[in-house]
Amino acid sequence: MAITAEQALGAVAAGASARVDADVAPLFKVGDRVRARNINPRSHTRMPRYLHGCEGVVERDFGVFAFPDSHAHEQGDQPQHVYSVRFSAKDVWGREGGERDFLLVDMWDQYLDIVS
Amino acid sequence: MASAAHTRPLGEIEIRVKALESLLVEKGLVDPAAVDALIDTYEHKVGPHNGARVVARAWVDAPYKQRLLNDGTAAIAELGYSGLQGEDLVVVENTPEVHNVLVCTLCSCYPWPTLGLPPVWYKSAPYRSRVVVDPRSVLQEFGLQLPASAEVRVWDSTSEVRYLVLPERPAGTAHLTEEQLAALVTRDAMIGVAKVAA
Repeated sequence: MAITAEQALGAVAAGASARVDADVAPLFKVGDRVRARNINPRSHTRMPRYLHGCEGVVERDFGVFAFPDSHAHEQGDQPQHVYSVRFSAKDVWGREGGERDFLLVDMWDQYLDIVS
Repeated sequence: MASAAHTRPLGEIEIRVKALESLLVEKGLVDPAAVDALIDTYEHKVGPHNGARVVARAWVDAPYKQRLLNDGTAAIAELGYSGLQGEDLVVVENTPEVHNVLVCTLCSCYPWPTLGLPPVWYKSAPYRSRVVVDPRSVLQEFGLQLPASAEVRVWDSTSEVRYLVLPERPAGTAHLTEEQLAALVTRDAMIGVAKVAA
C-alpha cells in the first residue's frame, strides 16, 4: 500500500530519531583515551575502516542510541552511548597527516576500547 | 517537468527513472502525489535559506548563539526547523583559530532541515575520501586558503547526529539587519568549505 502525500509530509516533519530512551551506563567518559577496534563485519557497520586501531580522546557523550550494526539487521537496538571522539590526523595518517588537523567521528560503545 | 524536456530526446537515466516510476505507480506501490509533495518540499520549502536564518540569528543574538551551541536541536527548532535527518543536530563554530568542515565518509549524511538535500559533490567519493586525509588541499580547491596556524576539524558524521557549521560573521557587517545577514550566508559556508563574504 503506497503512502499518501499527507503521510510522506508527516514523516518528514516528525523525523525518526535513533535515540533510545533507555537507562544505559556509558562505558567511557569525556577525556578518556580510547582505541577504535579493528572490527570487520560482513554486515552493516558505521565503523570507518580508516580508524582501525587509531587512538583518540572522547570529546562529548551524545547519549543513548540504537546500534546500527544490529538494528540494520533487525537484531535489536542494543542501545548504547554514542560519543564524539577526536583523533589527531598525525595518529591516523602518519607523517602525511596535518600537524593541526583533527578528525571528530561519532563512535558507539562497542567500537571502542579504553587505552590504559 | 520543464518544457525543454519535450524538445530533446530523453537521456538513458531519465528513461530508466520514468520506467521505474510508472511501474511503481501501476503496481500501486507509489502514490505520485506523495512523490510530488516530497519534491516540492525539498525544492521550495526546505533548503540552505533555513540554515542561513539560524546563522544570522546566532550572529545578532548572543544568548541564542549560546543555546545553539549547547543544544543545536532545540535552538534550531525555536526557528521552526526540525524533522527528518535533523533529529539530533550539533552546531560547531568557526573562529579565526578553528575551522570546521563536514563530511560523511560512509554515505551522504547531511542536516536536511537546515540545508535541504546535499549537493552532488558532497556525496562524491573524491570529496568523501580526500577531505579526511588532506582537508587543506580540498578546501583550497574550493577557494578557501586557511592560515597554517588555524586548526582544522573534520567532522565525519557516522551516526544519526547531524552537524551544521556556524561560520564566522564577516567584518564590515555591523550595519546589516538579521535578514540582510541571512542573505549573505551560503550553503557551502555551513558545510565548512567556504567562508561568508560581506
